[in-house]
Amino acid sequence: MTSDGPPPNEKSLWRQFSDSRVLLLMCLPATLFFLVFNYAPMPGAWIAFTNFNYRDGIFGSPFVGFKNFEFLIKSGQLWTLTRNTILYNLAFIVLGNLLQIAIAIMLNEIRSAFFKKISQAAMFLPFFISAVLVGVIAFNLLNYDTGAINALIKQTGGDPIKIYSMAGIWPLIIITVHLWQSTGYGSIVYFAAIMGIDRSLYEAAAIDGASAWQRIRHVTLPSLKPTFIILVLFSLGGIMHGNFGLFWNLVGNNAGLFQTTDIIETSVYRMVLSQNNFTTSTAVGLYQSLFGFALVMTANWIVRRINRDYALF
Amino acid sequence: MKRRTIVKLGAALLALGVSNSALVAGAQAQDAPTEITMLTLGNKPTNGRLEAMLEKLNERLVQQANVKLDLFYIEWADWQTQYNVQLLSGDDNVDLIATATDWLFGWENAEKGAFLPLSEEMLKTHAPKTWAQVDAKGHWDLTKFDGQIYFMPEDNYTQYTNHGFFYRGDWAKEAGFANGEISKLEDFTTYFDWIKKNKSDVYPWDASASAGKDAILAAYMQSHTDLQTLQQVTAGNFFPFQTSAKDPYKVASYLMEGDELLAAAQLTKKWNEIGVWREDALNYDGDTREEFYAGRSGADQHHTQTYVTQIVNNMNTKQPGSDPKFFWWGKENGNFFKDIFTHGAMAVSANSKHPEKALEVYDLIRNDKENYMLFNFGIEGTDYVLTADGKLGYPEGYDSSTDGLGTNYWWGRMDEFEPPKTSDAPNKAEIIAALDSQAKDYPYSTLIVSKSAIDPTLAAIGGVLSEYLPQLENGKFDDPAAAIAEMREKLKAVGWDEAVASIQSDMDKWAAARGLK
Amino acid sequence: MRSSEPAATPPAISSRSSAIRLDRSELVLRTISYTVVTLFALFCLLPFVMMLSASLSSEDEIRRTGFGLFPKDFTLTAYQFIFNAPRQIIGSYIVTITMTVTGTAIGLFTIAMTGYALHRKDFPFRNHISFFIYFTTLFSAGLAPTFLWIARDLGLRGSYLAVFLQLLMTPWLIILMKNFMRTVPYEVIESGKVDGAGDFRIFWQLCLPIMKPALATVGLFLALGYWNEWYLSSIYLGSTVEFKPLQYLLYNVINTANALRNSMAGANVSITDLPSNTLKMASAIVATGPILLLYPFVQKYFVSGITIGAVKG
Repeated sequence: MTSDGPPPNEKSLWRQFSDSRVLLLMCLPATLFFLVFNYAPMPGAWIAFTNFNYRDGIFGSPFVGFKNFEFLIKSGQLWTLTRNTILYNLAFIVLGNLLQIAIAIMLNEIRSAFFKKISQAAMFLPFFISAVLVGVIAFNLLNYDTGAINALIKQTGGDPIKIYSMAGIWPLIIITVHLWQSTGYGSIVYFAAIMGIDRSLYEAAAIDGASAWQRIRHVTLPSLKPTFIILVLFSLGGIMHGNFGLFWNLVGNNAGLFQTTDIIETSVYRMVLSQNNFTTSTAVGLYQSLFGFALVMTANWIVRRINRDYALF
Repeated sequence: MKRRTIVKLGAALLALGVSNSALVAGAQAQDAPTEITMLTLGNKPTNGRLEAMLEKLNERLVQQANVKLDLFYIEWADWQTQYNVQLLSGDDNVDLIATATDWLFGWENAEKGAFLPLSEEMLKTHAPKTWAQVDAKGHWDLTKFDGQIYFMPEDNYTQYTNHGFFYRGDWAKEAGFANGEISKLEDFTTYFDWIKKNKSDVYPWDASASAGKDAILAAYMQSHTDLQTLQQVTAGNFFPFQTSAKDPYKVASYLMEGDELLAAAQLTKKWNEIGVWREDALNYDGDTREEFYAGRSGADQHHTQTYVTQIVNNMNTKQPGSDPKFFWWGKENGNFFKDIFTHGAMAVSANSKHPEKALEVYDLIRNDKENYMLFNFGIEGTDYVLTADGKLGYPEGYDSSTDGLGTNYWWGRMDEFEPPKTSDAPNKAEIIAALDSQAKDYPYSTLIVSKSAIDPTLAAIGGVLSEYLPQLENGKFDDPAAAIAEMREKLKAVGWDEAVASIQSDMDKWAAARGLK
Repeated sequence: MRSSEPAATPPAISSRSSAIRLDRSELVLRTISYTVVTLFALFCLLPFVMMLSASLSSEDEIRRTGFGLFPKDFTLTAYQFIFNAPRQIIGSYIVTITMTVTGTAIGLFTIAMTGYALHRKDFPFRNHISFFIYFTTLFSAGLAPTFLWIARDLGLRGSYLAVFLQLLMTPWLIILMKNFMRTVPYEVIESGKVDGAGDFRIFWQLCLPIMKPALATVGLFLALGYWNEWYLSSIYLGSTVEFKPLQYLLYNVINTANALRNSMAGANVSITDLPSNTLKMASAIVATGPILLLYPFVQKYFVSGITIGAVKG
């Protein structure tokens, strides 16, 4: 940094470049990709601080400071929404990963190749069902008048329940639907990781007379740890971003459920729907990005202190 | 096209951020007809009828002005985003842009510079007939933003899009209404109650989530006060502000003041208890119109235009003897408006390379009867037929669900070119006359509310309303009075008074400028 | 992903099962695994069955009584309607398949190359480049600035390239690939170096063949990304192309009615022919069905690829 800095360093930097030129070249396509599609538009986030118009473009439009963020604060909901979004995502991340690991381990225990194939394919199905259809299916299962669940209750002589008025159970429903949709897909990574575990470890365990539980606890789970940590750290990056499609299609305009189901995306959608304003949506995104950024940097810093190898960077 | 984009991408990779519009240099042959593209809304039909019509129409257009017309569709799925994204893209392939000030972001896009300001000079030269017709009515003022004309209004077409209930005269008669006529909003309680007791398997009104956001609350306000809703200001999904006819330059709101909101909420609570709609109406998204047609719903909620063009015809075919009737909000006291004249309009894109030609095409379609018929109804004989008494009908074997022309021209229709249709309600003229005798002109057409100052507040207000109004509308609060008090408190907290003050100052300026106050 | 030594599979599996004693705990674990996997698979399958039966029911019955597990008033009307004009759907299939195949191939190659380079401990810039890539998940310009850059400045509006390019890679897949590289023993790279092979040749000839589990997993995710994509298509393609990618076509069919009913246009526009429930469900089946039929075949290579890789590793 300083003027009298040691020249050898510079020289070695050049050496480093020339020594690793092939590896650098191998990274070039990906680097260019992110440069063009992710970094190049970044300065454009300036739009969040402007009253954008087409004539003047992003950088020519009048600067308005934090005005586009104001409604978030004005609504008085910012904290509740942020909390809901984070809590839901935490539940998704923690329960999701646990279930994915469990399913991957159990799939691995299944010996019949045919059964394995069929069940894995079935678990993949929900991934292909779009959010709108998920909403339609949920309504057909849960509604009071014609819902399948209530039809069953009525058949067995019970009183139908008003599920769409019970705010308390909706976190459960939403989390269930999320797990239903993502587990088959997510367990692939863990399944692949289990397949990659060195067989000799299992053989050694077997020779030591380990039970199935010990085998899983001492061999499988530790081997999945790096994958687990990477996955969690990665999901943390998106912890401020809610799954709009899922929440909107399950809950929609049913304000009776908002106290337990409203997240940043759905609330903002209802607030600025009529404005169709690119600046406010960018402003909200910026808030989410910065908040998420701080969160991940902290988490990564902690992981790095514990075990450098598991850190993302 | 593809080659061009690859070249462009390459250039962009080499020189990030360097404008490359130079690459788009293109020479156009002098005598070839200019191609004009019109942006419209709708799903592009795939039955070939549109292309056949365009071929015929373009023969005429080439002769008349050496232009060819093509259509670009903004499809219905996500149409609001799609429309704004298309304008944001700055695409110079689109010349004419369909718009509307009350539902299709007309003012917003004029302000943002997506539309070309139209000078009188240009209009007089290139759209002379449109200019003369709109000018004769004195309507150009309605299209001005900052003193500039931004679009050509559909100001010569009579239609009513005021909302109300479609209901069945046969059942109403049985429920004890003379002639099956229901003339008060509260009387629907009797009608619904009768259906609930006498028709199993029928919802008195199978309301869906979207229909029910605040329709009855607003209807009640219309019927019981002289409040007139300001159509310029939305908060989220709602129109929160009104003025009183007695005090027309003071911004007010039934959401904040008075007892009408509570009375309305008590009415909907009663309806909810009767079981007028599904228990889960707030989440129900079914096709309620089809339910009405199928005789499984006693009512449906939409506007006059739908009633006269579809409901009567369909009900008479699908439920013979059902005697479909229409009760519009504000029928009791005549508190409703005619449609504003910019409910449909046509703008020229700021990026159009041939704005003059675009105006010429519009003028030719709007004012040349033969062009108009082709563009709106297609080719005579295959797309439509004219009956002996001059009505427009469809040829044998025509299936409207697959054979539609789909030009969706709602941006400059003309009363004098519109033939009566065989599918029109027989009582159409009667209904329109009844509406004409009651309806008021919207007094604030030229009022422009500077929203950018209060956008954040309006968004926050929209957020609060979205928490309360759908529930009030569906009668879901045990104690509506408490809920309303809570809502009003929250509205105050997010800056309601500020928003009112800001709109009021726009109102004052506007009224003063016109010498109204 | 084709296995180069199919003969290696059976012995690998049998040797593994015999190595582990079948004691009581193994039996219990296996029983639990079969039960849980079966139940979860059924849970995932159920809504799909509901969709299928709805698509085969008459519209009238669906409106009256909602969805069920079995078709009500069996009819093929919805499918007949779709296949009366198959041009659109066939075109969409071709677009999506082309994008999926080429995108997966190119993306997989680039990602593998980058993941390999970033994994090399002797590559001095690995942390910088990792962070450069990871950072894009934390901070993004947002919809409007990105759209303006790609659509306006790069001129990609209305070009399939806008969708194709943006899906080529994600930071997540690169980091996943890098993480999978841990299973490549360092001796492999060392031995390559000793033999005087260049960095690219070590990657291409020595590492790729033993990275099959990683390639299979990442390839599957890439392919699913292309197959399920509708959002970018809706923003960058909209109605500018004749043939929409398959899922976007489906999205349009499903959302047309909702979009109209939930918005102010519904108040102004009279539309007669909105897609019915049965048509929506049938479209979803037609758009999803084929990949489901294909899945077991892909899976065959997928699972065997993983197994071989694991044994060798």
